[in-house]
Amino acid sequence: MPEIKVTPLGAGQDVGRSCIIVSIGGKNIMLDCGMHMGYNDDRRFPDFSYIVQNGRLTDFLDCVIISHFHLDHCGALPYMSEMVGYDGPIYMTHPTKAICPILLEDFRKITVDKKGETNFFTSQMIKDCMKKVIPLNLHQTVQVDDELEIKAYYAGHVLGAAMVHIKVGSESVVYTGDYNMTPDRHLGAAWIDKCRPDILISESTYATTIRDSKRCRERDFLKKVHESIERGGKVLIPVFALGRAQELCILLETFWERMNLKAPIYFSTGLTEKANHYYKLFITWTNQKIRKTFVQRNMFEFKHIKAFDRSYADNPGPMVVFATPGMLHAGQSLQIFKKWAGNEKNMVIMPGYCVQGTIGHKILNGQRKLEMEGRATLDVKLQVEYMSFSAHADAKGIMQLIRMAEPRNMLLVHGEAVKMEFLKGKIEQEFSIDCYMPANGETTTVTTNPKVPVDMSLNLLKREMALGGPLPDPKKPRIMHGTLIMKDNSLKLVSSEQALKELGLNEHQLRFTCRVQLHDPHSDPDTLRRIYTHLKSVLKGYAIQHLPDGTVMVESIVIKVSSSPEEANTKVILLSWSYQDEDLGSFLSTLLKKGLPSGL
Amino acid sequence: MLLHPKALAFFVQSGFITPLLQLQSDPSMFVASAANQLLAHILLAIQPENKEHANIKTNTEHSRVVLQTTDHIKESLVPKEGTLAAGSLQVLKLLALILDQARRPLRDQLLMALAASLEELAEAAYSQMTPALMDVIMAGYSPDSDDVTSRLLSSMLNVNKPADLVQAAAAFLHQSHSCASSDAANIRQAVRILLLPLHFVTGHPLLGTAPSADTAIMTAQLKNKSTFISMICVCLRNTPQVALMPPGILPCLPAMIVLSVVTLLRICSGDASTSSSSSSLDGCKNEVYRCIVNCGKVQKSALEALASLSSSPGADSTMNEVSEILVHYMSNPDSDPTVLQKSYKAFVQWTSVWTDLSFISQQLREDLFMGVEKRACDPRWEVRDSTIEFLGQLHCVPTRKSADSALLSERLTAPLLREALQDSESYVRASAVSALARGFRSFVPDGLQGTELSQEQTDTVGRLLKILCEDTEGFARRAVVRYFMTWLSSCSSPPSSPPSLLLESVRVVLSRGSLDLDWEVKVNTLELAELLLDAAFSDHGRCTGAENHPYATFSTHANGQARAGDAALDSALSSLVDQGVFSVLLSGLVDCDRPVALKACELLIRIRETIYGTADVMSVSCELPEWGWGKEIRKMLKNEGDKGQRVSVCEVLTSLALDERRVLLSQSSDYVHNSFQSLLQDILSAGVTLGDAGKDGGQEVIVDCY
Repeated sequence: MPEIKVTPLGAGQDVGRSCIIVSIGGKNIMLDCGMHMGYNDDRRFPDFSYIVQNGRLTDFLDCVIISHFHLDHCGALPYMSEMVGYDGPIYMTHPTKAICPILLEDFRKITVDKKGETNFFTSQMIKDCMKKVIPLNLHQTVQVDDELEIKAYYAGHVLGAAMVHIKVGSESVVYTGDYNMTPDRHLGAAWIDKCRPDILISESTYATTIRDSKRCRERDFLKKVHESIERGGKVLIPVFALGRAQELCILLETFWERMNLKAPIYFSTGLTEKANHYYKLFITWTNQKIRKTFVQRNMFEFKHIKAFDRSYADNPGPMVVFATPGMLHAGQSLQIFKKWAGNEKNMVIMPGYCVQGTIGHKILNGQRKLEMEGRATLDVKLQVEYMSFSAHADAKGIMQLIRMAEPRNMLLVHGEAVKMEFLKGKIEQEFSIDCYMPANGETTTVTTNPKVPVDMSLNLLKREMALGGPLPDPKKPRIMHGTLIMKDNSLKLVSSEQALKELGLNEHQLRFTCRVQLHDPHSDPDTLRRIYTHLKSVLKGYAIQHLPDGTVMVESIVIKVSSSPEEANTKVILLSWSYQDEDLGSFLSTLLKKGLPSGL
Repeated sequence: MLLHPKALAFFVQSGFITPLLQLQSDPSMFVASAANQLLAHILLAIQPENKEHANIKTNTEHSRVVLQTTDHIKESLVPKEGTLAAGSLQVLKLLALILDQARRPLRDQLLMALAASLEELAEAAYSQMTPALMDVIMAGYSPDSDDVTSRLLSSMLNVNKPADLVQAAAAFLHQSHSCASSDAANIRQAVRILLLPLHFVTGHPLLGTAPSADTAIMTAQLKNKSTFISMICVCLRNTPQVALMPPGILPCLPAMIVLSVVTLLRICSGDASTSSSSSSLDGCKNEVYRCIVNCGKVQKSALEALASLSSSPGADSTMNEVSEILVHYMSNPDSDPTVLQKSYKAFVQWTSVWTDLSFISQQLREDLFMGVEKRACDPRWEVRDSTIEFLGQLHCVPTRKSADSALLSERLTAPLLREALQDSESYVRASAVSALARGFRSFVPDGLQGTELSQEQTDTVGRLLKILCEDTEGFARRAVVRYFMTWLSSCSSPPSSPPSLLLESVRVVLSRGSLDLDWEVKVNTLELAELLLDAAFSDHGRCTGAENHPYATFSTHANGQARAGDAALDSALSSLVDQGVFSVLLSGLVDCDRPVALKACELLIRIRETIYGTADVMSVSCELPEWGWGKEIRKMLKNEGDKGQRVSVCEVLTSLALDERRVLLSQSSDYVHNSFQSLLQDILSAGVTLGDAGKDGGQEVIVDCY
């Protein structure tokens, strides 16, 4: 039986370094190629030597598909394509292709910043990698080769994120990447049609969580920012280049407008224009409200949010600053943090994940004295808040997606093992489908029941229709007979005559004959008439004919009556039928053996 | 841990080999691979000849471990019905690891014990195990011995499935290093196997007359397009190595191989007129064409092979055919961007070995130019960028002696490059700037440096400065700074002096570059400043060389020269201040980006050491602005209250604690966070946080790579 194999090289029972190898119909596809933010050495990248020796990824892989521009999904792509070596096609959506290089450059800078970072990809490598990318449109089927086709669906989460439907022959897999089943201020909710894949590979970041309402979190966030501003404090929000930051910008802009606030809001210089440019360019990827409003006003051209200059950090008075990078580990955000940390009126809001060891992680864990370079100590007096605005589907959303897609099997990735185990149980219970959660390096093999596509000849169809009766109804299937022939690697259902003709064979009719003895004093024609009447009353819905040649026909069954030469009042009923009417023939012979009712 | 002899002995003697062998069969390939590494290490470490581990009861323990491992391998080697082949693959990897480094007794022991299983596996011909099996064979293979590996190799080079045969031949050739006579036979066979598909498809008589059985086998392969294409790609990948084989091994001239690759490329582009005269394709031409016409995989592999074949013997004789096919691919508007990029790369590679370009006809040059001109306007940025890069690389080909001998004259290419300066894609703009910079190395004739620039060149400089000031993307701005670095370097040798336009432009570049948002632009600006430092100090005879050695001899003549040198140094330093170099360095010193600050610090230290002890430079001063970096420098100098804007350069250099700063900047940005103390603090505070988390029952998962 055909099989689909799924092997996570990353994000198998963990989060980070998403990289899943799918083998389907003889094709090998890599889904995402991310890096792990928690490591500084080679462990940050997936180890491709596990799947091929001598770096021959081009020979092994038929294509690579990237779901979105977060580095834990695309961060290892230049490493794989330019340093390990891969020349084949890389698929991603248009916005992902445009934004990926920005985040990759941003991260390259952070790692080059660390001494000794010689084994990291260069700008030229990022460019050469992006040259191999073929952009995808939503809902458009792309033929990778003769057998393999892919199609992208909207995933929400970040601009350009997509779920991908991969099909080879009659087998298919859907990979979700990261997705969100609820719309937010600038993106819509994920959607997929009822494609019934053999496997749905889904992220399970919030496998056991039903998240509280987004409005509560937003209200909480705005309240905290407002309180800080009101007391004259400064608010620092470290963000990671493009991404969820735009969501927060829209939130603040709307709030500032409503409350008529005057305190300035700044965004990392350079990124404001870039972000604005990309959100304008890819406006069709945002939600309906943004698109509608865009006619009058570009929601990403903010009235209250300005470009930041380094010198503004020393300006007196309240302000809000979005600065990179997101974990407070280097660059502008760290520099600003050092300046503002000593004032308890100020606040830092961490809107996302912080890797262990970073300043962001330390202050979230409650450390209030930080050792800085040159043995200097920084007293952290400002308020530290964590508010996650990450856009992942929660447990309810994951179940909703399963209802949408109707997969035959589930496979969970990108989550924590214990929580995935819990969700696995729920899925198996509710949907009665198998659910897998392989760890990194483990191969899950799923046997598929492939559909066998069969053509049907027009003549056969016409003949069926000519027989009359109700039109075909999925709820009331009708049996029809034909002959299945295989020619030129395809299957076809044709009438038996056509099959004989195509195959160059002679037809042989096979008829079964049965004799039933019946005690009946009537004449032969009368007995036949009585049989005819009896059958008419019993067999409703069958074609029964009393033919002039002295026979009764029921479908293909011929009934003849003759008198027994040995006994005067005994009739011999001869039944003869063809193979198709085997069941009916047997039934009739049994029926007639019981005799005829006397009232006929 | 197992590097320590006592620990290893404990491990072995305590019976941990058994669970380790179980882990070797773990469903996770990560676990299985780690177990493989460990098992191999143990077996190799406790070989009787290894004195380090003599404390292990060598003979008994070693034999026991080897026996246990061998039994496990034997059992797992051949996949049984219902079991997964993945287990067999892991076992093969383990065996290859061991055999690669095992010495004679262990190696022979293993091969003898596993001979039957390996032979069974080879006969079963599992395609997915061919590479792993070949690794085992080559790890244990010795050309002069007639053992199981020789028999296995012979068996693998004679399997029925061409795809597996080609894999085996490629693996053998890749790993074979010996020249033993028995090896020659195998190498010859491997070469024939690898040339057969090309012989079959292109019709070039690479193998002389190939047996009809071979043709029949190849024809059968056509039924499965994917397998056929993979096979062709493997063969192409190995053609460069094959072409370098000696005449006794290679059944044809290397030039024939080049021509066959060229023919294959023609077929791939749909040129049916290249159909071979050989009869091998007659019956199945359509099938072959169906498989490979427009096949990107084959095109890419063929172009890569063609590029590598440029250094094969006798390649010169194929110049016409190679140049024609490459120009054809470069002119084809339907070429995949990666295929086009490889075509360009192959062309550059071939032009670097063509000593004389006169063979390239005028028509071909025109075709080349027309193709390039169209590709430079392609709607796909990938194509435009590769084309512009190609134009830049053509300038760099070392055989070019003068502009007139160039393949495409600057008169034709310069307008394309200038046009690309305003491309909508930043990568293309950056490539155009880089290509223009490359022109300096080739097209600035000797003796003409420093002369008046043409109007076009002056306009170009203006446009580049505009890019530096206004371009929204860092790539193009970085390239602009590097352009001026290249220009300045090309004007560095006397007797010429840089043109005035260059000097003015450099001032602008220094000023704008140091304020740029992109850290690499800032670093490149500092590198430009370094070139100016080099020029300034070398011009005035002040080098960190023998003259400054503390024990160098010192004569009155040298003393007189030194005094004259000091005065010149004063003027050199003043000129650096006037050019804005010093301001750039100071602003870089306080930059929030570490590489920028480090570079600036190093250059400042260099200036300090150069002017050390020179009285005349004390009067040189520089301006410190009241805002931004100026304010930060004042804070460091502890004269924030001083309203005067000029400070002594010497005072600045000595008061800034540059050495301590350099030590700090040289450490990685996360050295504080990766210290043991930092980790301990994190563990302690995490304990507190976990305790608090239990109280509020929050379920928020903090896992998102935001």
